[in-house]
Amino acid sequence: MQTSFRLLGSLALTLALAACAPQDPHQKVSAALASNVLLPAYHGWSEANRTLEQSARAFCAGEQDLTQARQHFSAAQSAWAALQPLAVGPLSEGNRAWQVQFWPDKKNLVGRQVERLVQSNPQLDAAALGKASVVVQGLSAYEYLLFDPALDLADDSQKARYCPMLQAIASHQRGLADEVLNLWEGEQGMAAMLRSTPNTRYPDGREALGELLRTQVSALDGLKKKLGTPLGRQSKGVAQPFQAEAWRSKASLANLAAALASAEQVWRGNDDNGVRSLPGAQHQNLVKRIDEAFSDTRKRLAAQQRPLGEALADPAAREELDALYDSLDRLHRLHESELSRALEIPLGFNAHDGD
Amino acid sequence: MKRMPLASASLLAIAISLAGCGDDRPTEPTQTAAQPAAASTTPAQPAVADESATKAVVAHYADMALAVFSDAHGGALELQKAIEALLAEPTEQTLAAAREAWIKARVPYMQSEVFRFGNPVVDEWEGQVNAWPLDEGLIDYVEGDYQHALGNPGATANIIANSEIRVGEDLIDASQITPELLASLNELGGSEANVASGYHAIEFLLWGQDLNGTEAGAGARPASDFSVGEGCTGGNCERRRAFLEAATRLLVSDLEEMVAQWQPEQENYRASLLAEPAENGLRKMFFGMGSLSLGELAGERMKVALEANSTEDEHDCFSDNTHNSHFYNGKGIRNVYLGEYLRRDGSLVKGPSLADLVTKADAKADQTLRSDLEQSEARLQALVDSAAAGQHFDQLIAADNEQGQQLVRDAIAALVQQTGSIEKAAAALGLSDLNPETADHEF
Repeated sequence: MQTSFRLLGSLALTLALAACAPQDPHQKVSAALASNVLLPAYHGWSEANRTLEQSARAFCAGEQDLTQARQHFSAAQSAWAALQPLAVGPLSEGNRAWQVQFWPDKKNLVGRQVERLVQSNPQLDAAALGKASVVVQGLSAYEYLLFDPALDLADDSQKARYCPMLQAIASHQRGLADEVLNLWEGEQGMAAMLRSTPNTRYPDGREALGELLRTQVSALDGLKKKLGTPLGRQSKGVAQPFQAEAWRSKASLANLAAALASAEQVWRGNDDNGVRSLPGAQHQNLVKRIDEAFSDTRKRLAAQQRPLGEALADPAAREELDALYDSLDRLHRLHESELSRALEIPLGFNAHDGD
Repeated sequence: MKRMPLASASLLAIAISLAGCGDDRPTEPTQTAAQPAAASTTPAQPAVADESATKAVVAHYADMALAVFSDAHGGALELQKAIEALLAEPTEQTLAAAREAWIKARVPYMQSEVFRFGNPVVDEWEGQVNAWPLDEGLIDYVEGDYQHALGNPGATANIIANSEIRVGEDLIDASQITPELLASLNELGGSEANVASGYHAIEFLLWGQDLNGTEAGAGARPASDFSVGEGCTGGNCERRRAFLEAATRLLVSDLEEMVAQWQPEQENYRASLLAEPAENGLRKMFFGMGSLSLGELAGERMKVALEANSTEDEHDCFSDNTHNSHFYNGKGIRNVYLGEYLRRDGSLVKGPSLADLVTKADAKADQTLRSDLEQSEARLQALVDSAAAGQHFDQLIAADNEQGQQLVRDAIAALVQQTGSIEKAAAALGLSDLNPETADHEF
């Protein structure tokens, strides 16, 4: 019975796809990326958050140890990092992204607001958390609880103190990820909007593809900021390890790698059906340079064996990180200026302008 | 070259994200829904107006910059006078007068910030003048729930109490508090929260920490913090007086320097700007408007404070003057578009404007932007009115103040909407790549 439903479903899908057979190359790429890159990534994030919710419950019940709890957190954080170049639609609306991660945290608002809330509301639940500041609702606060040097959740009394909040955050995240996944799926979902136009979001495939590209460029800009801030690029070259994303869990570079991998998927698609397939014959040199830029950034990142905080303290590694930043910068600029021009997709202002 | 509307979709996404709220209210992309065919209705061949008209607009832009920076300088001189009076006789009256002068000095300065983005000469100079948020423990005593940037070695250096400051392995001689010393201490140890100069350092000295969180009230430093001899409170009054005097002197000279950059017929930034292709000048004007509107004002200055319920991220956090700062930032954006600036002395600077060019190219784009600018001004005015009625920005962003948050959210939404119209107005003049740093001149 179930099989036949599935068959029926896939038949309907085939018909639907055939009905709006995407002739426009922009539409084709947008559709391929929606199905093969974006939707799977949102599924992955949602699953990681289901696991995280179970982990929080099990850890607080004494069925998981701190190491296991941390591993599940890292998986959720990595799935989240991978969404950065894919954050079109629901995730960029409302303040959903901020509910997952609060960065940059210039003045340690995470630590401060967590402690304040635990004090004022010791039996915090997900509903009360939903009314609190975004700073305490997400992975940044979860990371603080599990990794901050001043806390030790392996200690029973601390565990008792912070567990209500840990579980509330995990539930909030699970709910948020499910909500977003819901908004991606279905006939009027985000994936459908990217697959076929016109619709209430996009007048044509070009606008849909344009938004994917703008998100990609903005994410690459964001990655530069995430690496450049701890490297001291905006602060006289003096390293700022505590201003890094995910410094507590030592996952700054791992997050960067996850996001970069997604950006490369947007470029390549799953079968050379990504943005890369769009520039015409006269732009093949540009395509080659972007290929090389991705490969260069990826290799430099993979060569970093130590956490960012440690590497920052080592002059030789600092040089490598500076070279990594420059590589990322080249990749970003190729997208921002040459690729957008080759595809005739203007970028407009993004939220990083004015920083 | 084929053109298409600028970034409407991505902007909308940012729009919704900036305007978004803590509840789970579904957000609907009504704008795009209302105009699904926008892509095909753009004029096919927008073009920059003729060169002489364009040049006149850029030249008037430079005139406005000269006027607004001159006014900021004039305001700083008034502030300096008031501070001299305070130091001559530290009473609650002279302190109140100095605070009043500071608030007045902010009016032209905040209108100058639209010139910051796009003009490197302003952007690179700005840090010493208006950097925030700051770790005020670098400057003076702090108490209560003082939180500073993690890993900032200068966060509790307290220059006023210490004639030597140790940062890591470096020992800095701070025995003489001079403008040069303060300038050199900015971003001490690389932390951008180390701000020893500019409006906000002076603001902290005049008001002190705002210990009220999201409750009513600003900083309440007593005038006796500046008393000489026995009546001195807070300790080290002589050094505090020296700090205030030096920081004010530095502010005045910094502004003087910026005024000189915009004087006509000299070898300065103005000359190089006017020597560039006029189209590039237009690009800078639009870039300044859009960057201040979206990333800086709506984003960094409002959205961060709002969503994090963070009074540390409030712009004028010691004085609770944030509503005015935001209002005059918005006014500056409007000034640049309309080519109008109302000076401190009440006279109006008016001349060839972007609006003139846009209305010729696309009257509808001009009308939309004008009405968006009015709308954002009204929304920012609502923040000013709220402050006048006793609820300041730091109260509006309290976690349990739903109505207050809505006021801030509405202002953000208006700024975001106006940014979209700025892009469209630029597109009407044939300007697509708005970032003057990345735009080359092939267009």
